[in-house]
Amino acid sequence: MRSSSLAQAMVVCRKELTDWSRDRRSIFTVLLSSLFVPVIIGVMFTNLANRQRQLEDVKVPVVGAANAPALIDWLRQQPGIEIVDGPSDPEEAVRTRREDIVVIIPDDFAKKFTASKPAQVRLVSDGSSQNNRAKVQRVRTLFQRYSSEIGSLRLIARGISPVVSVPVQIEDVEVSSAQQRAATILGFIPLLMMIAAFTGAMNIATDSTAGERERGSIEALLVNPAPRGAIAGGKWMAGTATAMLSVVVTGALLFALFQYIPLQDLGIRFALGPTQLLGTLATLLPLCPLIVAIQMYVATFAKSFKEAQSYLSFLMIAQMIPGMMATMNVLPSKVWMYYVPWIGQQTLLTDVLGNKPIHPMVFVVVAAANVALAVVVIRATAGLLLREKIIFGR
Amino acid sequence: MIQIENLHKRFGEVRAVDGVSFTAADGAVTGLLGPNGAGKTTALRMLYTLMRPDEGRILVDGLDAVTDPQGARLRLGVLPDQSGLYPRLTAREHIRYFGELQGITGADLANRTEHLLKMLDMTAIADRRVAGFSHGERTKTALARAIVHNPKNVLLDEPTNGLDVMSTRAVREIIRKLKGDGHTVLFSSHVMQEVSALCDTIVVIARGKIVASGSPDDLRQQTGHQNLEDAFVALSGLEAAS
Repeated sequence: MRSSSLAQAMVVCRKELTDWSRDRRSIFTVLLSSLFVPVIIGVMFTNLANRQRQLEDVKVPVVGAANAPALIDWLRQQPGIEIVDGPSDPEEAVRTRREDIVVIIPDDFAKKFTASKPAQVRLVSDGSSQNNRAKVQRVRTLFQRYSSEIGSLRLIARGISPVVSVPVQIEDVEVSSAQQRAATILGFIPLLMMIAAFTGAMNIATDSTAGERERGSIEALLVNPAPRGAIAGGKWMAGTATAMLSVVVTGALLFALFQYIPLQDLGIRFALGPTQLLGTLATLLPLCPLIVAIQMYVATFAKSFKEAQSYLSFLMIAQMIPGMMATMNVLPSKVWMYYVPWIGQQTLLTDVLGNKPIHPMVFVVVAAANVALAVVVIRATAGLLLREKIIFGR
Repeated sequence: MIQIENLHKRFGEVRAVDGVSFTAADGAVTGLLGPNGAGKTTALRMLYTLMRPDEGRILVDGLDAVTDPQGARLRLGVLPDQSGLYPRLTAREHIRYFGELQGITGADLANRTEHLLKMLDMTAIADRRVAGFSHGERTKTALARAIVHNPKNVLLDEPTNGLDVMSTRAVREIIRKLKGDGHTVLFSSHVMQEVSALCDTIVVIARGKIVASGSPDDLRQQTGHQNLEDAFVALSGLEAAS
């Protein structure tokens, strides 16, 4: 670009940014898209951590604890179990969700127990409630264990090996452990950050292209002697700035958030420290020029702001596909993938967040490839501005 | 000076502009008069370089506007058919933006802006966002940004369309002022009175062709109508059509 063209591009860029900064809707969009990722991740993790904690420290209200002192003693010895007095009306307490579970030990427990007859223990819970399922399961398992321990002792007392009463042994292999669920959530971070970049740029990209057509200001703008490249370039720079702003704000918020999320409670060794933050920004910022260039190219075909936004929503879904596939592990990690836009960022970000060592040249090459591609797209957009159908077609 | 020779433009089967030639001289006001759909806007669009003619030559101060549109744009100030503004910018910012795009900067730009704001009687509204502007105020803003670079040639596509009496007067005043300063002014209109009040030369266009041209007196003589409006109706063949 010649120096005068660059100066004119700067003029356009400054005007677009001024215009943008006065649009409450666009500022709101950037803020919302920046907040979106950290809030979702934060809520998901806090939820997960809470559930985990719920399993670790379980308060069990017991009605009639005096009926089975030995059982209660045994329960108290179990790690993370606290026995408290039960409410007077257990069923009502569970139905109104004051308690997740209430254990009732009937008066005839001791009598049946000493007679070696099945002594009843009643677990009151609400099966329709999702949140306490794990807790109820935990309590039930405790009682089953106590039952089988006592059963074994009784068999031994009668000279029978307790093994004969265990024809089948079940071993649970839980794949959706808290750790794994946390890893899945972390896997969404690259995808969500790319969405932030996309939505951050959307307003300028549509307003400065389809918006010019809708307002009827494009003729007056193009009658200026400024080259088309400078006009498209200036708008592109402005859009890129807002996309980058959105990414930086999102990154910073995520960084702040991860200082508070109790990841170690979940047994996850994941840190979003300064290194990961820098790596994330180094991966995503060079994608912004390309995202904006493509948005502008597509939006230039639209005659109105609304039309442009509906095109761009399709584009947004399209850009999410590689990320989705990577998150679902459909795509195996291959070297060529680093150099394909979107897939490359997804792969790089997964490496960055997974603390894989990355050669700095990879960042540079990926960035250069993206920016070069962006320049090609922006030139094509400048070419569109010569078409009579685009300038006058309303 | 603007010279147009044998200009043609077709949209599919429609010959929007069909062999138009005329000259707009320096220090004179030329009016392009014709009913709606006559080809005025298409002709002007080719003139201000955003539409490519199928055939014909356009010279702006002797410079070929078809082969060197960039050069022609430097010599043109244009109020296009669609003169949309940016609702969130002020009038002054509009003028500044277009001035900067023309390559004017610093004190020069500030002086030009101030001069235009005074000339168009816009000082009071200069720093208000244009979102709340009246139609007249919008036209003035669009006009000011169009001529911020003090172009030799000024093209105005229906500049008074939809304006009230006071605003129309203001626009006429500006056209006269531009003429007095030696500019070439070419404007289109479908309103007879306007053209006759302002123009040194009238070019009557109908169905893409020029049906008559000359001074208002010439036209009266050619048609034998004393009343210019009758002359216009006769020339554009509107009666035959309806």
